[in-house]
Amino acid sequence: MNKKWMSIAISLTLVFALLAAACSNKEKTDGGKGEKVTITHYTIDSPDRTFVEKLIPDFEAKHPNIKIKVTKAPYEQFDSKLQSSIAAKNAPDVTSHWGYGGFMEYYNKDMLMDLSPYLEGFKASDYNIPDDVMDIYKVDGKTYGIPLNSYVTVMLYNKDLFDKAGLPYPPTDYEDKSWTFEKMVEYAQKMTVDSKNMEEAQYGVDFGFGERDQRPQYFGANVYSDDTWTNGGKPSEINLSKPEVVDAYKTLYGLIYDKKVAPTPAFSQSVSGQFGDPFLSGKIGMSVVGSWSLAAAADFSFNVGVAAVPQSPKGDVRSVLYVDPLFVLKDSKHPEEALEWIKYLITTEIQEKSIELSGGNPPVNQAAAEKYYNNFEGIDPKGIQQVFDGAYKYGFESYNHLISNYSQINELFINELAGVENGDKKVEEVLPVIEQKLKDLLARVNKP
Amino acid sequence: MSEVALENKKNTVQKKKKWKLSQLIGFVILLVVTITMLSPVWFMVTTSLKTTKELLLFPPTIIPKVFAWGNFSELFTNTDIKFGQQYMNSLIVAICTVIGTIISSSLVAFGFARYQTRSSGFMFMLVLSTLMLPYPAIMIPQFLLFMNLGLHDSLLPLILPSFFGSAYMIFLLKQFFSTMPDELYNAGRIDGCSEFRLYWNLTLPLAGPALATVAIFSFIWSWNDLLTPVLYLDSQENFTLPIGMAAMLSSKFRLAPWNLLMAASILSVMPIVLLFAVAQKRFVEGIVLTGIK
Repeated sequence: MNKKWMSIAISLTLVFALLAAACSNKEKTDGGKGEKVTITHYTIDSPDRTFVEKLIPDFEAKHPNIKIKVTKAPYEQFDSKLQSSIAAKNAPDVTSHWGYGGFMEYYNKDMLMDLSPYLEGFKASDYNIPDDVMDIYKVDGKTYGIPLNSYVTVMLYNKDLFDKAGLPYPPTDYEDKSWTFEKMVEYAQKMTVDSKNMEEAQYGVDFGFGERDQRPQYFGANVYSDDTWTNGGKPSEINLSKPEVVDAYKTLYGLIYDKKVAPTPAFSQSVSGQFGDPFLSGKIGMSVVGSWSLAAAADFSFNVGVAAVPQSPKGDVRSVLYVDPLFVLKDSKHPEEALEWIKYLITTEIQEKSIELSGGNPPVNQAAAEKYYNNFEGIDPKGIQQVFDGAYKYGFESYNHLISNYSQINELFINELAGVENGDKKVEEVLPVIEQKLKDLLARVNKP
Repeated sequence: MSEVALENKKNTVQKKKKWKLSQLIGFVILLVVTITMLSPVWFMVTTSLKTTKELLLFPPTIIPKVFAWGNFSELFTNTDIKFGQQYMNSLIVAICTVIGTIISSSLVAFGFARYQTRSSGFMFMLVLSTLMLPYPAIMIPQFLLFMNLGLHDSLLPLILPSFFGSAYMIFLLKQFFSTMPDELYNAGRIDGCSEFRLYWNLTLPLAGPALATVAIFSFIWSWNDLLTPVLYLDSQENFTLPIGMAAMLSSKFRLAPWNLLMAASILSVMPIVLLFAVAQKRFVEGIVLTGIK
């Protein structure tokens, strides 16, 4: 009996060993030039990103030596899958900062490949990419990313609520000096019904300008010292105790609790769920928001318009720019082929095609922009174009693309400012706490 | 005498009335609790039948204006979602995991429960200590292992570990096996049973409730697992349900298709509800007998 079991055990072990050996003998990495190489494109599993799969047959027909493989993960798990595949030396070739982390985080973790040596002869103008947009992903003259899509901050407004209040629609022209922050508040007051009864309640404006730490920028104040933008996203000073920053936050949260024209977080969550946008409920007059919300415009249950973000009381930054790039990761064995794929994606023809396939991703290639402006039913294309032009002119790149370890910093702001947003704490008591915690955090994460 | 009898009767009537009132209060409380507990389920069912436009209405409609049954068929016909494929993958993984866990854990638990050696206490502690290791701690080494075995982007890395035992299930089954009387095994040995037959023909048939508990737990864990499949699976045809459903919420660029997501949720809880309905009696017995909740 014992012998029988022993022989079974030995044969099982042998089978496993053979299986393992057979599996590990699978084709190894692709060979050198001339042979077919596989480029992995890692993205979020959402239709506005995975549409690239539909472009692969055309690309592969034009580039017979390159095969594109798309791998994907849900948004929440994007970073963990990327980190583990890098750790396991199975990193994708092409990706972007589609998860919580931003460009500077990737850069400082040494995840990105310097593309400059492969970019000889590459001119941004050939792809109609403005030079200042191309420069966003350059550090010390080296290029680490090629822009793909450019989102801006826009103001969406509910035409039905404007009509009901008898108000004229806000302008699309950023140069219209009559469209000011005060004017916006005045309009908002006329549309607001601040009631405990959820069915009656509605609010004039939801001012979601960038992330929380970037909002003072609209009021001409900066949370971080200027060297942050030139030294790899590591702020040397935090300005949260400066009067202009304190005033900016006071004005911002004053919209909720002093002027009572903006919804409380409790209201927003009850009308739209934890992650939803309360504007979609039709109970918000104006919403300052990223232009990606435009893509859902066809599904809104009310008429929607696009307008310029009003002129700031101080300062001239009126829009947050979110330029999404494509990176080649450092471990890529085929950077040239990866770059071929990236270049293909930013050609005018493909950028135009992508607008349709993605459901409305704004192209970085300005020759394709015309098609983008015409993509939204019921919204005047000229108006959208004017808003985008103004946003580029008065825009500043999103902090999350520029600051190192941004996901931790952002989380700190979200957690600490929750007290102010809920009306439990005052701006003056919370900002010093954030300043201290932020300094501690930066000292820890930016250790040389 | 008759007065006493009358008094007694009165008391009984009063008692009866009181009891009825408490019963009524209890009933009302139960009703309120039931409605509260069922309201998310109601929300899930009604949302799954709403059109996209109706999703955005505020206040939300309690009963959909138009019953969009098409949401359910869209899950299977929409080529971007591939729900049917994901459902099948999840079933394969969960069923194989249950089989693997039951075979491996019961065998190890049998060993720990029935054979005492000098080191068995230490060995058992060693097995239990693996419970202390959080998954993220072994995530990368395990990932490397399966990468080197060439099993990356297949369902095997999700199934194979279950064939090597699960400390929690081993503990659960050992508790149960230890309660079986020695006399039973001695009788078996006298009748000429081999050690394996003691396990196969004596222990397993008597361990129904504990095995049902193990089956349900391992099925639910595997069915709901998101992180492991996300790490190992790259190709859409290998994706499991949790990945597919999380992906529906992935886009910040458009409205989340809550109606499809809720329809998917209804279909995805079905196997668990069915499994529980079938194994309920044994499952409850298992919890009572092993003292594990």
